[in-house]
Amino acid sequence: MSRPDGPSGDQNAKSTSSTEPGSADGDTPDDVSSAAGRDAVSTAAEKRDARKIVTGEAKYTADYGGQFPDLAEAAVRRSDIAHGVVTDIDTSDAEAIEGVYAVLTPDSAGMPDGPYTSAGQSYPEPSPWDLRVLRRRVRYVGDPIAAVAAKDTDTARAAARAIDVTYEERPAVFDPDAAVSEDAPRIHDPDAVENVQSGADYDRNVEAHLAGEIGDVEAAFAVAAERDDRSVVETTWETPYQSHCVPEPHTTIARRDEDDRYHLVSSTQVPYHVRRQLAHLFDVPIRDVRVTKPQIGAGFGSKQSMVIEPIALALAIAADRPVKLEATRAEEFHAMRFRRPSRGRIRSVVTDDGDLQAIDMSVTTNSGAYGPHGMTAAVSVGKKPLPLYAGTPNLRLDATAVHTNLPVAGAMRGYGAPQGHFAVETHIAEIAREIGMDPIAFRRRNLIGEGDVETASAILKSGDGHGRRIRSCGIDECIERGKAAIGWDDVDQPPEDHRHRACGVALATQGSGIPGDELGAAHIKMNEDGSFILQTGAVDLGTGADTVMAQIAAEVLGARPEDILVQPSDTDVSPFDYGAYASSTTYVTGQAVRKAATEARDQLFAVVARLLDEPVDDLVAHDRAVHAESSGSSVTLEELGYASIYGDDAREQVMGEASYSTDESPPPFAAQFADVTVDERTGEFEVHELVCAVDCGAAINPDLARGQITGAMHMGYELAAGGELTFDEEGRPNVAGFRDYGMPRTADQPPLTPILVETHEPTGPFGAKSVAEVPTNAVPPALSNAIRRAVDVRITDLPITPEKVKSALDQRRESADDV
Amino acid sequence: MKIRLTLNGEKITLDASRSDSLLDILRRAGYTGTKRGCETGDCGFCTVLVDGDAVKSCIRPAARADESAVETIEDLGTQADLHPIQAAFVDNAALQCGFCTPGMIMRTKALLAENPDPEKAEVREALSGNLCRCTGYENIVSAVADAADRLAAGDRSDAATDGGRQRKQCTACDYEGVQE
Repeated sequence: MSRPDGPSGDQNAKSTSSTEPGSADGDTPDDVSSAAGRDAVSTAAEKRDARKIVTGEAKYTADYGGQFPDLAEAAVRRSDIAHGVVTDIDTSDAEAIEGVYAVLTPDSAGMPDGPYTSAGQSYPEPSPWDLRVLRRRVRYVGDPIAAVAAKDTDTARAAARAIDVTYEERPAVFDPDAAVSEDAPRIHDPDAVENVQSGADYDRNVEAHLAGEIGDVEAAFAVAAERDDRSVVETTWETPYQSHCVPEPHTTIARRDEDDRYHLVSSTQVPYHVRRQLAHLFDVPIRDVRVTKPQIGAGFGSKQSMVIEPIALALAIAADRPVKLEATRAEEFHAMRFRRPSRGRIRSVVTDDGDLQAIDMSVTTNSGAYGPHGMTAAVSVGKKPLPLYAGTPNLRLDATAVHTNLPVAGAMRGYGAPQGHFAVETHIAEIAREIGMDPIAFRRRNLIGEGDVETASAILKSGDGHGRRIRSCGIDECIERGKAAIGWDDVDQPPEDHRHRACGVALATQGSGIPGDELGAAHIKMNEDGSFILQTGAVDLGTGADTVMAQIAAEVLGARPEDILVQPSDTDVSPFDYGAYASSTTYVTGQAVRKAATEARDQLFAVVARLLDEPVDDLVAHDRAVHAESSGSSVTLEELGYASIYGDDAREQVMGEASYSTDESPPPFAAQFADVTVDERTGEFEVHELVCAVDCGAAINPDLARGQITGAMHMGYELAAGGELTFDEEGRPNVAGFRDYGMPRTADQPPLTPILVETHEPTGPFGAKSVAEVPTNAVPPALSNAIRRAVDVRITDLPITPEKVKSALDQRRESADDV
Repeated sequence: MKIRLTLNGEKITLDASRSDSLLDILRRAGYTGTKRGCETGDCGFCTVLVDGDAVKSCIRPAARADESAVETIEDLGTQADLHPIQAAFVDNAALQCGFCTPGMIMRTKALLAENPDPEKAEVREALSGNLCRCTGYENIVSAVADAADRLAAGDRSDAATDGGRQRKQCTACDYEGVQE
């Protein structure tokens, strides 16, 4: 290990594996309920890339550029108009610039022209194939039309600017409601798109439409109309475009390697999907494409889309040299991928006692110009939050994904759930107010719990048998711990009469992978010194997934996490993995790692059984050795490393491998709280604290899990009250950089308190469920609910701004005056 | 043109074009710890020290850096012997993807040189030009406070331990003490 001063010094030695943290240790944070019996998991093992990060030695895609002396830099010429057809592309001026190696247009020889989807999903992708690498038909300001490779970035950009593009403009449409009207401009030609999604109607710019029902919603409303012990509550909501603001811009180095294959070093969340999709696009066998994932400067879903890789590869082929394409920040803010805007309506029936009888939810999402993730994210707006109240006998969900001439929505942390939780959890708060119940008591009365079988997440599937049994659920404790942390029962009002303080709450859930549509695999082999090399396809985007995988393997093998060397994913080397999305990595790939490590341990046990003449059943692995429990004799892993490879008899490489796939997707749960003071004269509000208590099952690495929670709350707070991508009347982006966008900074990010509420998920690796997405979901509704409680106005469209609060307060006063 | 720098204590001359930023010539010379995030001075990932001041190197013309002393992340500790600020970031779990971290650490170095014992609000103000998308900033602010403590204690050798933070026992760290 390259950690000569690593955290293994004697000065740190305090406990043995039999006196675990989490028992009586006063230093143990009380949010990790019990780590008894665990060595390497449930510990805050140092993030394995932490040291190379702080020394600047971690190598991200762009940092590999120096390895290629003949590297060309690239730039993309993008559409200046929101909708139209490119009638002419004159590249002569660009080609005349010294140092330009290649200029590509849609008509260039060898340019892939088939349709594809940028959505990095499993095969066959549910998303429509509606994209071309370079486009004559342009559908938003930012569509790539031409691309340049040149000796340096300045030259490439100058050449891209020098390309003369002539357009025939068409009318554009930017509002999803307007887009579905009959006289709206038609954005896609159905004959040019391969779309297997339900309900596509390109004559009305509908990318997909799906509806599902459990029970009989109309009957429930009919009953409500008849009876006076039923209330009907209806609310609406709207959410905007949100940028992932990935720190590292999308970056790809593409080249033809010495074996005449295509090799890409790319900032991707989905190396295997990119490999397959590129092979398809460039019409080469999959074996001729290799995708290497280096250190990634975060993804949050944005790098689940194959946005720049095809352009970089086409340029590398045309220029016959390695090409680096690095998105500019301006491109990140209009030409990559985004959280999709949503709007909709929920109505529900509730009894006077507080029993939900029906929830009817309709949602429209704005896919923007193309369809990656359109249907799956649109339905997630309902499918993700509704399981919270899955006991509601009558549920209906109607989801429509609509195209407009705005930037392309894709996957983003939460994947529809933040929009859906804003819808559902503000609605639930309004129901509680309507019937005069405490919002927490009302939720508790209707909430899902351990042992329940919920079908809401499968509401769009026909037939029975799609129930999901909840095997672990800590949401009650999440509520209690969150309440205590935020001071729910103990809010001091400010001395000024015009300032009002209140707490708001919202609950959240998510999945752990896509049920029935995940595959993780792992391979682990032993070195002579008792260490192991672990290969997985899991894609660590900065989350610490590699550290978690090492901890899981170490726990099985009785090794230390730092004894497990984790290889970054590379499609030539790593076992297959669907990639980093849908909160699947720890839950799915973690199980593959556990299984592979168990297989290796079984081999170790066989070696030890021979060496010590002890029965295998009596062997256990811990403290870097295999022990015979009865006799107390043991062999260290290092001794075993040598013995297995250089021994006198039965030499073998100890190695394990396993795949894991599952139909399970156990939901993590969270309770989000916001503490806010609102100035009723100005609408200004101050968020004192955001608290999120999360049941992620067992936290394999509590530090990393907490980091996921605070980071997710940051992102949720931005959706609630910060950034918003807006566009002018021509569809041009108003946001070109961070200064135009309200991403919270240290000075304006409210304090964030993460709480881990550990449960044990029996289907997860050492009891783990997912953690990274669920805390993204509930900041917006918690803040809206807090403001509602503070000054009695409801903000239904995000982001919440002082102007909107002021306007709502003014309206409330006016209507009060009218009465 | 030639840009003469004292780069991390060494005299060095780098080639630059008129349009090059300080970031451009540093990265081209292999100092890739300094990251490019926006090219407009808005994210802070490219923060380096120029004559002791924290500077966003993406908007500092290379020509203007001529004859100055530049310090990058590469000048701090090594993985085996972390600088106290780096150690504080590691031990406080103040990083995830790490793309903002070098700039954040250089910003912290400038802050603590100027104000060795900053209040939390001062830390938040000083770092407000350095974005982080992963952490929510909480642990970064804690790391800066921890780094201040370590520097105040003259802590250079204790870089590998978890120092000022009362964190829970890490069993992964304990095996050395329990052999046999």
